[in-house]
Amino acid sequence: MKKNPERLHKYYVLGFYLLLLGSWQLLFSLNLLHDYLFPAPFDVAKRLVELGDEGLLWPSIKATLERMVIGFSISAGIGLAIGLLMGMSRIINGCLKSLFLGLQTLPTAAWAPISLLLFGLSDRGIAFVIIMSSVAAISIATADGIQHIPPIYLRAARTLGTPVYAMPSHVILPAALPRIVTGIKLGWTLGWHGAVSAELIKSSVGLGFLLYMGRELNDASQVIAIMVLTILIGLLLDRFCFGLIERRIRIRWGLEPAKR
Amino acid sequence: MDAIPASNPGISPPVKLRLANVTKTFDSATQKVAALQAVNLEIREGEYVVLFGPSGCGKSTLLNLIAGFETPSAGDILLEGDPVSGPGNDRLMMFQEHALFPWLNVIENVVYGLKWEPAYRFRFRARRQKALELLKMVHLEEFARSSVHELSGGMKQRVALARALAPDPQVLLIDEPFPALDALVRARLYVELQDILVRTRKTIVSVTHDPREAACLGDRVVVLTGRPGRIKAEVKVQLARPRDINDPQVAEYALRINAHLESAHEEKPGTTA
Repeated sequence: MKKNPERLHKYYVLGFYLLLLGSWQLLFSLNLLHDYLFPAPFDVAKRLVELGDEGLLWPSIKATLERMVIGFSISAGIGLAIGLLMGMSRIINGCLKSLFLGLQTLPTAAWAPISLLLFGLSDRGIAFVIIMSSVAAISIATADGIQHIPPIYLRAARTLGTPVYAMPSHVILPAALPRIVTGIKLGWTLGWHGAVSAELIKSSVGLGFLLYMGRELNDASQVIAIMVLTILIGLLLDRFCFGLIERRIRIRWGLEPAKR
Repeated sequence: MDAIPASNPGISPPVKLRLANVTKTFDSATQKVAALQAVNLEIREGEYVVLFGPSGCGKSTLLNLIAGFETPSAGDILLEGDPVSGPGNDRLMMFQEHALFPWLNVIENVVYGLKWEPAYRFRFRARRQKALELLKMVHLEEFARSSVHELSGGMKQRVALARALAPDPQVLLIDEPFPALDALVRARLYVELQDILVRTRKTIVSVTHDPREAACLGDRVVVLTGRPGRIKAEVKVQLARPRDINDPQVAEYALRINAHLESAHEEKPGTTA
Protein backbone atom coordinates (compact mmCIF):
# COMPACT_ATOMS: atom_id res chain seq x y z
CA MET A 1 0.00 0.00 0.00
CA LYS A 2 2.65 2.46 0.98
CA LYS A 3 4.66 4.00 -1.78
CA ASN A 4 8.33 3.27 -1.96
CA PRO A 5 10.09 6.66 -1.93
CA GLU A 6 13.18 5.15 -3.63
CA ARG A 7 11.03 4.02 -6.56
CA LEU A 8 9.39 7.40 -6.84
CA HIS A 9 12.78 9.06 -6.74
CA LYS A 10 13.86 7.06 -9.80
CA TYR A 11 10.89 8.38 -11.79
CA TYR A 12 11.76 11.96 -10.89
CA VAL A 13 15.30 11.42 -12.17
CA LEU A 14 14.01 9.87 -15.39
CA GLY A 15 11.56 12.74 -15.80
CA PHE A 16 14.36 15.25 -15.34
CA TYR A 17 16.36 13.78 -18.23
CA LEU A 18 13.34 13.63 -20.51
CA LEU A 19 12.62 17.25 -19.67
CA LEU A 20 16.23 18.20 -20.38
CA LEU A 21 16.21 16.44 -23.74
CA GLY A 22 12.73 17.77 -24.56
CA SER A 23 13.62 21.41 -23.88
CA TRP A 24 16.85 21.07 -25.88
CA GLN A 25 14.81 19.87 -28.88
CA LEU A 26 12.13 22.47 -28.21
CA LEU A 27 14.65 25.32 -28.53
CA PHE A 28 15.22 24.25 -32.14
CA SER A 29 11.59 23.48 -32.93
CA LEU A 30 10.67 27.01 -31.82
CA ASN A 31 13.61 28.41 -33.85
CA LEU A 32 15.11 29.99 -30.75
CA LEU A 33 18.43 28.30 -31.47
CA HIS A 34 19.86 27.65 -34.91
CA ASP A 35 21.56 24.47 -35.93
CA TYR A 36 24.60 26.26 -37.36
CA LEU A 37 25.31 27.47 -33.82
CA PHE A 38 24.63 24.27 -31.89
CA PRO A 39 23.38 20.83 -32.95
CA ALA A 40 19.91 19.61 -32.15
CA PRO A 41 19.50 16.32 -30.26
CA PHE A 42 18.07 14.70 -33.35
CA ASP A 43 21.17 15.66 -35.39
CA VAL A 44 23.42 14.30 -32.65
CA ALA A 45 21.60 10.98 -32.63
CA LYS A 46 21.68 10.85 -36.43
CA ARG A 47 25.43 11.53 -36.52
CA LEU A 48 26.01 8.79 -33.94
CA VAL A 49 24.21 6.27 -36.15
CA GLU A 50 26.16 7.51 -39.19
CA LEU A 51 29.44 7.08 -37.38
CA GLY A 52 28.38 3.53 -36.59
CA ASP A 53 27.53 2.89 -40.26
CA GLU A 54 30.83 4.36 -41.41
CA GLY A 55 32.58 1.79 -39.23
CA LEU A 56 34.26 4.43 -37.09
CA LEU A 57 32.39 3.95 -33.83
CA TRP A 58 33.03 0.37 -32.75
CA PRO A 59 36.77 0.33 -33.50
CA SER A 60 37.09 3.59 -31.54
CA ILE A 61 35.20 2.32 -28.50
CA LYS A 62 37.16 -0.91 -28.65
CA ALA A 63 40.50 0.90 -28.95
CA THR A 64 39.79 3.21 -26.01
CA LEU A 65 38.55 0.36 -23.82
CA GLU A 66 41.52 -1.81 -24.74
CA ARG A 67 43.93 0.96 -23.80
CA MET A 68 42.02 1.42 -20.55
CA VAL A 69 42.14 -2.28 -19.67
CA ILE A 70 45.90 -2.46 -20.25
CA GLY A 71 46.82 0.90 -18.72
CA PHE A 72 44.45 0.56 -15.82
CA SER A 73 45.53 -2.98 -14.94
CA ILE A 74 49.12 -1.78 -14.68
CA SER A 75 48.01 1.25 -12.70
CA ALA A 76 45.94 -0.84 -10.28
CA GLY A 77 48.88 -3.21 -9.74
CA ILE A 78 51.31 -0.38 -9.06
CA GLY A 79 48.78 1.53 -6.97
CA LEU A 80 48.01 -1.48 -4.77
CA ALA A 81 51.70 -2.19 -4.20
CA ILE A 82 52.56 1.43 -3.36
CA GLY A 83 49.41 1.77 -1.26
CA LEU A 84 50.29 -1.37 0.69
CA LEU A 85 53.74 0.03 1.49
CA MET A 86 52.22 3.38 2.43
CA GLY A 87 49.61 1.71 4.62
CA MET A 88 52.17 -0.35 6.48
CA SER A 89 54.91 2.24 6.94
CA ARG A 90 54.26 5.62 8.45
CA ILE A 91 57.50 7.01 6.96
CA ILE A 92 56.69 5.94 3.40
CA ASN A 93 53.16 7.25 3.84
CA GLY A 94 54.43 10.60 5.06
CA CYS A 95 56.76 10.98 2.09
CA LEU A 96 54.47 9.78 -0.67
CA LYS A 97 51.09 11.09 0.45
CA SER A 98 51.99 14.75 0.00
CA LEU A 99 53.57 13.96 -3.38
CA PHE A 100 50.48 12.08 -4.55
CA LEU A 101 48.09 14.69 -3.26
CA GLY A 102 50.13 17.25 -5.19
CA LEU A 103 50.06 15.16 -8.35
CA GLN A 104 46.32 14.77 -8.01
CA THR A 105 45.81 18.51 -8.37
CA LEU A 106 47.27 18.20 -11.87
CA PRO A 107 44.57 17.85 -14.55
CA THR A 108 44.84 14.47 -16.26
CA ALA A 109 45.23 16.13 -19.68
CA ALA A 110 48.42 17.79 -18.44
CA TRP A 111 50.17 14.41 -18.67
CA ALA A 112 49.63 14.24 -22.44
CA PRO A 113 52.43 16.63 -23.57
CA ILE A 114 55.12 14.94 -21.49
CA SER A 115 53.91 11.53 -22.66
CA LEU A 116 54.21 12.77 -26.25
CA LEU A 117 57.81 13.82 -25.59
CA LEU A 118 58.70 10.57 -23.84
CA PHE A 119 56.88 7.99 -25.93
CA GLY A 120 55.96 9.73 -29.18
CA LEU A 121 52.77 8.74 -30.92
CA SER A 122 52.51 5.26 -29.44
CA ASP A 123 49.89 3.43 -27.41
CA ARG A 124 52.47 3.15 -24.66
CA GLY A 125 52.19 6.88 -24.25
CA ILE A 126 48.44 6.64 -23.76
CA ALA A 127 48.95 3.87 -21.19
CA PHE A 128 51.41 6.22 -19.47
CA VAL A 129 48.79 8.97 -19.25
CA ILE A 130 46.19 6.51 -17.89
CA ILE A 131 48.63 5.24 -15.26
CA MET A 132 49.73 8.72 -14.18
CA SER A 133 46.10 9.87 -14.01
CA SER A 134 44.91 7.07 -11.76
CA VAL A 135 47.81 5.62 -9.80
CA ALA A 136 47.86 8.33 -7.12
CA ALA A 137 44.17 7.93 -6.31
CA ILE A 138 44.47 4.15 -6.03
CA SER A 139 47.60 4.36 -3.86
CA ILE A 140 46.05 6.88 -1.49
CA ALA A 141 42.80 4.90 -1.19
CA THR A 142 44.68 1.67 -0.52
CA ALA A 143 46.86 3.28 2.13
CA ASP A 144 43.81 4.92 3.67
CA GLY A 145 41.93 1.61 3.67
CA ILE A 146 44.80 -0.13 5.44
CA GLN A 147 45.08 2.60 8.05
CA HIS A 148 41.37 2.28 8.79
CA ILE A 149 41.27 -1.50 9.24
CA PRO A 150 39.46 -2.25 12.52
CA PRO A 151 42.33 -3.29 14.86
CA ILE A 152 40.29 -6.27 16.01
CA TYR A 153 40.92 -8.06 12.67
CA LEU A 154 44.67 -7.65 13.04
CA ARG A 155 44.58 -8.85 16.65
CA ALA A 156 42.40 -11.82 15.71
CA ALA A 157 44.73 -12.73 12.86
CA ARG A 158 47.77 -12.64 15.13
CA THR A 159 46.22 -14.69 17.91
CA LEU A 160 45.12 -17.23 15.28
CA GLY A 161 48.79 -17.70 14.46
CA THR A 162 49.06 -15.80 11.16
CA PRO A 163 52.77 -15.42 10.31
CA VAL A 164 53.95 -11.87 9.56
CA TYR A 165 54.71 -12.61 5.89
CA ALA A 166 51.13 -13.79 5.32
CA MET A 167 49.47 -10.75 6.88
CA PRO A 168 49.26 -8.58 3.70
CA SER A 169 47.71 -11.22 1.48
CA HIS A 170 45.48 -12.94 4.04
CA VAL A 171 44.34 -10.10 6.26
CA ILE A 172 45.48 -6.57 5.43
CA LEU A 173 44.38 -6.35 1.79
CA PRO A 174 41.07 -8.20 2.26
CA ALA A 175 40.23 -6.16 5.34
CA ALA A 176 40.94 -2.92 3.47
CA LEU A 177 39.02 -4.04 0.37
CA PRO A 178 35.94 -1.78 0.74
CA ARG A 179 38.05 1.39 0.60
CA ILE A 180 40.37 -0.07 -2.02
CA VAL A 181 37.44 -0.74 -4.34
CA THR A 182 36.22 2.82 -3.85
CA GLY A 183 39.72 4.00 -4.81
CA ILE A 184 39.80 1.74 -7.85
CA LYS A 185 36.44 3.10 -8.95
CA LEU A 186 37.73 6.65 -8.63
CA GLY A 187 40.96 5.63 -10.37
CA TRP A 188 39.01 4.18 -13.29
CA THR A 189 37.14 7.46 -13.75
CA LEU A 190 40.38 9.46 -13.66
CA GLY A 191 42.05 7.00 -16.02
CA TRP A 192 39.09 7.34 -18.38
CA HIS A 193 39.60 11.12 -18.36
CA GLY A 194 43.28 10.59 -19.06
CA ALA A 195 42.68 8.12 -21.89
CA VAL A 196 40.30 10.38 -23.79
CA SER A 197 42.52 13.45 -23.21
CA ALA A 198 45.57 11.60 -24.52
CA GLU A 199 43.71 10.32 -27.56
CA LEU A 200 42.66 13.86 -28.30
CA ILE A 201 46.29 14.80 -28.79
CA LYS A 202 48.02 11.72 -30.09
CA SER A 203 46.08 8.91 -31.73
CA SER A 204 44.52 7.73 -34.96
CA VAL A 205 41.71 5.72 -33.41
CA GLY A 206 39.65 6.03 -30.22
CA LEU A 207 36.91 8.15 -28.71
CA GLY A 208 39.30 11.06 -28.15
CA PHE A 209 40.38 10.86 -31.77
CA LEU A 210 36.74 11.06 -32.94
CA LEU A 211 36.33 14.18 -30.81
CA TYR A 212 39.43 15.69 -32.39
CA MET A 213 38.22 14.72 -35.87
CA GLY A 214 34.83 16.31 -35.20
CA ARG A 215 36.51 19.57 -34.27
CA GLU A 216 38.77 19.46 -37.35
CA LEU A 217 35.74 18.92 -39.58
CA ASN A 218 33.78 21.61 -37.75
CA ASP A 219 31.16 18.94 -37.05
CA ALA A 220 29.50 19.95 -33.76
CA SER A 221 27.04 17.06 -33.99
CA GLN A 222 29.88 14.57 -33.96
CA VAL A 223 31.62 16.31 -31.06
CA ILE A 224 28.47 16.31 -28.94
CA ALA A 225 27.66 12.74 -29.98
CA ILE A 226 31.05 11.46 -28.88
CA MET A 227 30.88 13.48 -25.66
CA VAL A 228 27.53 11.94 -24.79
CA LEU A 229 28.81 8.50 -25.70
CA THR A 230 31.91 8.96 -23.53
CA ILE A 231 29.72 9.98 -20.61
CA LEU A 232 27.39 7.02 -21.13
CA ILE A 233 30.17 4.43 -21.31
CA GLY A 234 31.90 5.93 -18.29
CA LEU A 235 28.65 6.03 -16.34
CA LEU A 236 27.69 2.49 -17.30
CA LEU A 237 31.01 1.06 -16.16
CA ASP A 238 31.00 3.16 -13.02
CA ARG A 239 27.47 2.26 -12.00
CA PHE A 240 27.07 -1.28 -13.16
CA CYS A 241 30.55 -2.69 -13.07
CA PHE A 242 32.39 -1.02 -10.20
CA GLY A 243 29.28 0.24 -8.42
CA LEU A 244 27.78 -3.22 -8.06
CA ILE A 245 31.06 -4.77 -6.93
CA GLU A 246 31.52 -1.99 -4.40
CA ARG A 247 28.01 -2.44 -3.01
CA ARG A 248 28.33 -6.20 -2.74
CA ILE A 249 31.57 -5.83 -0.81
CA ARG A 250 30.13 -3.18 1.50
CA ILE A 251 27.16 -5.41 2.30
CA ARG A 252 29.34 -8.45 2.89
CA TRP A 253 31.71 -6.48 5.15
CA GLY A 254 28.67 -5.36 7.13
CA LEU A 255 29.19 -1.69 6.25
CA GLU A 256 25.84 -1.35 4.50
CA PRO A 257 22.59 -3.18 5.23
CA ALA A 258 21.36 -5.55 2.53
CA LYS A 259 18.10 -4.36 1.01
CA ARG A 260 15.07 -6.61 0.67
CA MET B 1 29.08 -30.03 46.89
CA ASP B 2 31.75 -32.30 45.42
CA ALA B 3 29.91 -32.92 42.20
CA ILE B 4 32.74 -33.03 39.71
CA PRO B 5 33.35 -36.70 39.04
CA ALA B 6 35.99 -36.17 36.35
CA SER B 7 38.62 -34.68 38.63
CA ASN B 8 40.32 -36.83 41.16
CA PRO B 9 41.00 -34.79 44.29
CA GLY B 10 44.04 -36.94 45.14
CA ILE B 11 46.08 -36.13 42.02
CA SER B 12 45.90 -32.58 40.69
CA PRO B 13 46.69 -32.08 37.01
CA PRO B 14 49.96 -30.37 35.99
CA VAL B 15 50.29 -26.60 35.91
CA LYS B 16 49.62 -25.28 32.42
CA LEU B 17 50.12 -21.59 32.87
CA ARG B 18 52.14 -19.91 35.59
CA LEU B 19 52.17 -16.19 36.29
CA ALA B 20 55.05 -15.19 38.56
CA ASN B 21 55.17 -11.66 39.98
CA VAL B 22 53.60 -10.25 36.83
CA THR B 23 53.66 -6.45 36.96
CA LYS B 24 52.54 -4.03 34.31
CA THR B 25 52.93 -0.26 34.33
CA PHE B 26 51.79 2.00 31.53
CA ASP B 27 53.79 5.15 30.91
CA SER B 28 51.66 8.06 29.91
CA ALA B 29 53.02 11.52 29.17
CA THR B 30 52.43 12.80 32.70
CA GLN B 31 52.52 9.77 34.96
CA LYS B 32 53.14 6.09 35.43
CA VAL B 33 50.01 4.02 35.87
CA ALA B 34 50.40 0.72 37.65
CA ALA B 35 47.89 -1.61 36.02
CA LEU B 36 49.01 -4.82 37.70
CA GLN B 37 51.22 -5.39 40.70
CA ALA B 38 52.96 -8.67 41.44
CA VAL B 39 50.28 -11.07 40.29
CA ASN B 40 50.96 -14.71 41.07
CA LEU B 41 48.68 -17.34 39.65
CA GLU B 42 48.86 -20.99 38.66
CA ILE B 43 46.38 -22.42 36.24
CA ARG B 44 46.18 -26.16 35.94
CA GLU B 45 45.45 -28.21 32.87
CA GLY B 46 41.75 -28.47 32.09
CA GLU B 47 40.85 -25.77 34.58
CA TYR B 48 38.46 -22.90 33.87
CA VAL B 49 39.67 -19.79 35.66
CA VAL B 50 37.61 -16.62 35.65
CA LEU B 51 39.31 -13.29 36.31
CA PHE B 52 36.65 -11.21 38.02
CA GLY B 53 36.77 -7.57 39.03
CA PRO B 54 35.47 -4.07 38.41
CA SER B 55 36.44 -2.20 35.25
CA GLY B 56 39.94 -0.81 35.52
CA CYS B 57 41.20 -3.57 37.79
CA GLY B 58 43.61 -4.77 35.14
CA LYS B 59 41.89 -8.06 34.34
CA SER B 60 41.83 -7.36 30.61
CA THR B 61 45.46 -6.26 30.76
CA LEU B 62 46.28 -9.58 32.38
CA LEU B 63 44.54 -11.42 29.55
CA ASN B 64 46.41 -9.32 26.95
CA LEU B 65 49.69 -10.18 28.65
CA ILE B 66 48.93 -13.90 28.54
CA ALA B 67 47.87 -13.62 24.89
CA GLY B 68 51.15 -11.84 24.10
CA PHE B 69 49.62 -8.61 22.83
CA GLU B 70 51.53 -6.84 25.58
CA THR B 71 54.70 -7.64 27.52
CA PRO B 72 54.93 -7.49 31.31
CA SER B 73 57.05 -4.73 32.86
CA ALA B 74 58.35 -7.30 35.32
CA GLY B 75 57.72 -10.93 36.16
CA ASP B 76 57.25 -14.03 34.02
CA ILE B 77 54.43 -15.72 32.18
CA LEU B 78 55.22 -19.37 31.60
CA LEU B 79 53.27 -21.75 29.41
CA GLU B 80 54.30 -25.28 30.38
CA GLY B 81 57.48 -23.81 31.81
CA ASP B 82 58.43 -21.76 28.72
CA PRO B 83 58.14 -17.97 28.73
CA VAL B 84 55.59 -16.67 26.24
CA SER B 85 56.56 -14.15 23.57
CA GLY B 86 54.16 -12.44 21.21
CA PRO B 87 50.69 -13.57 20.19
CA GLY B 88 50.18 -17.10 18.97
CA ASN B 89 47.55 -19.77 18.64
CA ASP B 90 48.84 -21.75 21.62
CA ARG B 91 47.22 -19.05 23.77
CA LEU B 92 44.32 -18.18 21.54
CA MET B 93 42.17 -15.19 22.42
CA MET B 94 38.44 -14.78 21.78
CA PHE B 95 37.35 -11.16 21.76
CA GLN B 96 34.27 -9.35 23.02
CA GLU B 97 33.29 -8.76 19.42
CA HIS B 98 33.18 -11.91 17.32
CA ALA B 99 36.06 -10.65 15.11
CA LEU B 100 35.12 -13.03 12.30
CA PHE B 101 36.61 -12.10 8.93
CA PRO B 102 33.84 -10.81 6.64
CA TRP B 103 35.79 -11.67 3.48
CA LEU B 104 35.52 -15.35 4.36
CA ASN B 105 32.32 -17.33 4.72
CA VAL B 106 31.49 -19.30 7.87
CA ILE B 107 33.44 -22.46 7.14
CA GLU B 108 36.39 -20.53 5.68
CA ASN B 109 36.60 -18.61 8.94
CA VAL B 110 36.87 -21.85 10.88
CA VAL B 111 39.36 -23.22 8.33
CA TYR B 112 41.42 -20.07 8.88
CA GLY B 113 42.16 -21.27 12.39
CA LEU B 114 43.83 -24.38 10.92
CA LYS B 115 45.69 -22.66 8.11
CA TRP B 116 48.89 -22.00 10.04
CA GLU B 117 49.00 -25.33 11.84
CA PRO B 118 51.97 -27.44 10.73
CA ALA B 119 49.83 -30.56 11.07
CA TYR B 120 47.42 -29.20 8.48
CA ARG B 121 49.96 -27.76 6.03
CA PHE B 122 48.72 -28.38 2.46
CA ARG B 123 46.01 -30.68 3.77
CA PHE B 124 43.04 -28.73 2.44
CA ARG B 125 40.57 -31.60 2.66
CA ALA B 126 41.50 -32.40 6.23
CA ARG B 127 41.12 -28.73 7.18
CA ARG B 128 37.62 -28.60 5.77
CA GLN B 129 36.63 -31.82 7.43
CA LYS B 130 37.87 -30.66 10.82
CA ALA B 131 36.15 -27.30 10.36
CA LEU B 132 32.89 -29.05 9.56
CA GLU B 133 33.22 -31.15 12.72
CA LEU B 134 33.70 -28.00 14.78
CA LEU B 135 30.69 -26.35 13.14
CA LYS B 136 28.66 -29.43 14.01
CA MET B 137 29.77 -29.07 17.60
CA VAL B 138 28.32 -25.55 17.72
CA HIS B 139 25.25 -26.70 15.73
CA LEU B 140 25.91 -24.52 12.72
CA GLU B 141 26.89 -27.03 10.05
CA GLU B 142 24.01 -26.00 7.80
CA PHE B 143 25.37 -22.43 7.77
CA ALA B 144 28.82 -23.48 6.54
CA ARG B 145 28.49 -21.53 3.31
CA SER B 146 26.72 -18.48 4.71
CA SER B 147 28.32 -15.06 4.85
CA VAL B 148 29.15 -13.70 8.28
CA HIS B 149 26.71 -10.79 7.91
CA GLU B 150 23.84 -13.22 7.45
CA LEU B 151 24.25 -14.69 10.95
CA SER B 152 22.70 -13.49 14.20
CA GLY B 153 24.89 -12.24 17.05
CA GLY B 154 24.74 -15.52 18.94
CA MET B 155 25.56 -17.54 15.83
CA LYS B 156 28.57 -15.33 15.14
CA GLN B 157 29.91 -15.96 18.64
CA ARG B 158 29.46 -19.70 18.14
CA VAL B 159 31.41 -19.56 14.88
CA ALA B 160 34.10 -17.54 16.67
CA LEU B 161 34.25 -20.29 19.29
CA ALA B 162 34.58 -22.97 16.61
CA ARG B 163 37.36 -20.97 14.94
CA ALA B 164 39.15 -20.51 18.26
CA LEU B 165 39.00 -24.23 19.03
CA ALA B 166 40.21 -25.23 15.54
CA PRO B 167 43.98 -25.04 16.17
CA ASP B 168 43.46 -26.85 19.49
CA PRO B 169 45.04 -24.11 21.63
CA GLN B 170 46.75 -25.05 24.87
CA VAL B 171 44.95 -22.22 26.61
CA LEU B 172 41.80 -20.50 25.41
CA LEU B 173 41.48 -16.89 26.53
CA ILE B 174 38.02 -15.31 26.46
CA ASP B 175 37.65 -11.57 26.91
CA GLU B 176 34.10 -11.26 28.26
CA PRO B 177 32.15 -14.07 26.68
CA PHE B 178 29.08 -12.95 24.73
CA PRO B 179 28.64 -9.40 26.07
CA ALA B 180 26.50 -7.98 23.27
CA LEU B 181 23.79 -10.60 23.31
CA ASP B 182 20.38 -10.73 24.90
CA ALA B 183 19.85 -12.69 28.11
CA LEU B 184 18.12 -15.69 26.56
CA VAL B 185 20.80 -16.27 23.92
CA ARG B 186 23.50 -15.80 26.54
CA ALA B 187 21.97 -18.35 28.92
CA ARG B 188 21.96 -20.92 26.15
CA LEU B 189 25.51 -20.09 25.07
CA TYR B 190 26.78 -20.50 28.65
CA VAL B 191 25.39 -24.03 28.67
CA GLU B 192 26.80 -24.75 25.24
CA LEU B 193 30.22 -23.40 26.16
CA GLN B 194 30.35 -25.57 29.29
CA ASP B 195 29.21 -28.57 27.31
CA ILE B 196 32.03 -28.06 24.84
CA LEU B 197 34.68 -27.46 27.46
CA VAL B 198 33.69 -30.55 29.42
CA ARG B 199 34.06 -32.52 26.20
CA THR B 200 37.34 -30.96 25.07
CA ARG B 201 38.82 -30.50 28.58
CA LYS B 202 40.30 -27.17 27.49
CA THR B 203 42.23 -24.91 29.80
CA ILE B 204 40.34 -21.63 29.76
CA VAL B 205 40.90 -18.17 31.23
CA SER B 206 38.09 -15.69 30.84
CA VAL B 207 37.43 -12.19 32.06
CA THR B 208 34.18 -10.74 33.37
CA HIS B 209 32.69 -8.09 35.62
CA ASP B 210 29.50 -10.09 36.08
CA PRO B 211 29.65 -12.21 39.28
CA ARG B 212 26.92 -14.54 38.03
CA GLU B 213 28.79 -15.28 34.85
CA ALA B 214 31.92 -15.91 36.92
CA ALA B 215 30.07 -18.36 39.16
CA CYS B 216 28.40 -20.03 36.21
CA LEU B 217 31.54 -20.62 34.16
CA GLY B 218 34.53 -20.85 36.49
CA ASP B 219 36.05 -23.79 38.32
CA ARG B 220 37.93 -21.09 40.14
CA VAL B 221 37.16 -17.39 40.31
CA VAL B 222 40.05 -15.01 40.90
CA VAL B 223 38.86 -11.71 42.36
CA LEU B 224 40.97 -8.72 41.36
CA THR B 225 40.93 -5.22 42.81
CA GLY B 226 42.02 -2.14 40.99
CA ARG B 227 44.80 0.43 40.94
CA PRO B 228 47.11 -1.30 40.97
CA GLY B 229 45.49 -4.60 39.99
CA ARG B 230 46.09 -7.29 42.57
CA ILE B 231 44.58 -10.64 43.42
CA LYS B 232 42.25 -10.11 46.34
CA ALA B 233 40.73 -13.54 46.77
CA GLU B 234 39.99 -16.84 45.12
CA VAL B 235 36.72 -18.74 45.15
CA LYS B 236 36.40 -22.38 44.10
CA VAL B 237 33.02 -23.04 42.55
CA GLN B 238 32.08 -26.61 43.33
CA LEU B 239 28.95 -27.18 41.32
CA ALA B 240 28.22 -29.81 38.69
CA ARG B 241 28.29 -28.80 35.03
CA PRO B 242 26.55 -27.70 32.96
CA ARG B 243 25.41 -24.95 35.31
CA ASP B 244 22.46 -22.76 34.54
CA ILE B 245 23.11 -19.05 34.95
CA ASN B 246 19.71 -18.72 36.65
CA ASP B 247 20.34 -21.53 39.12
CA PRO B 248 19.95 -20.30 42.77
CA GLN B 249 23.17 -22.11 43.74
CA VAL B 250 25.03 -20.12 41.09
CA ALA B 251 23.44 -16.97 42.49
CA GLU B 252 24.66 -17.91 45.96
CA TYR B 253 28.23 -18.25 44.71
CA ALA B 254 27.85 -14.97 42.85
CA LEU B 255 27.01 -13.24 46.13
CA ARG B 256 30.07 -14.74 47.79
CA ILE B 257 32.28 -13.65 44.92
CA ASN B 258 30.87 -10.15 44.98
CA ALA B 259 31.29 -9.94 48.76
CA HIS B 260 35.07 -10.17 48.30
CA LEU B 261 34.94 -7.14 46.10
CA GLU B 262 32.92 -5.13 48.59
CA SER B 263 35.20 -5.98 51.50
CA ALA B 264 38.06 -4.80 49.31
CA HIS B 265 36.47 -1.41 49.03
CA GLU B 266 35.87 -1.18 52.76
CA GLU B 267 39.53 -1.83 53.46
CA LYS B 268 40.54 1.10 51.33
CA PRO B 269 38.28 3.97 52.32
CA GLY B 270 39.87 6.24 49.70
CA THR B 271 38.49 4.30 46.74
CA THR B 272 35.00 4.70 45.45
CA ALA B 273 32.69 1.85 44.61
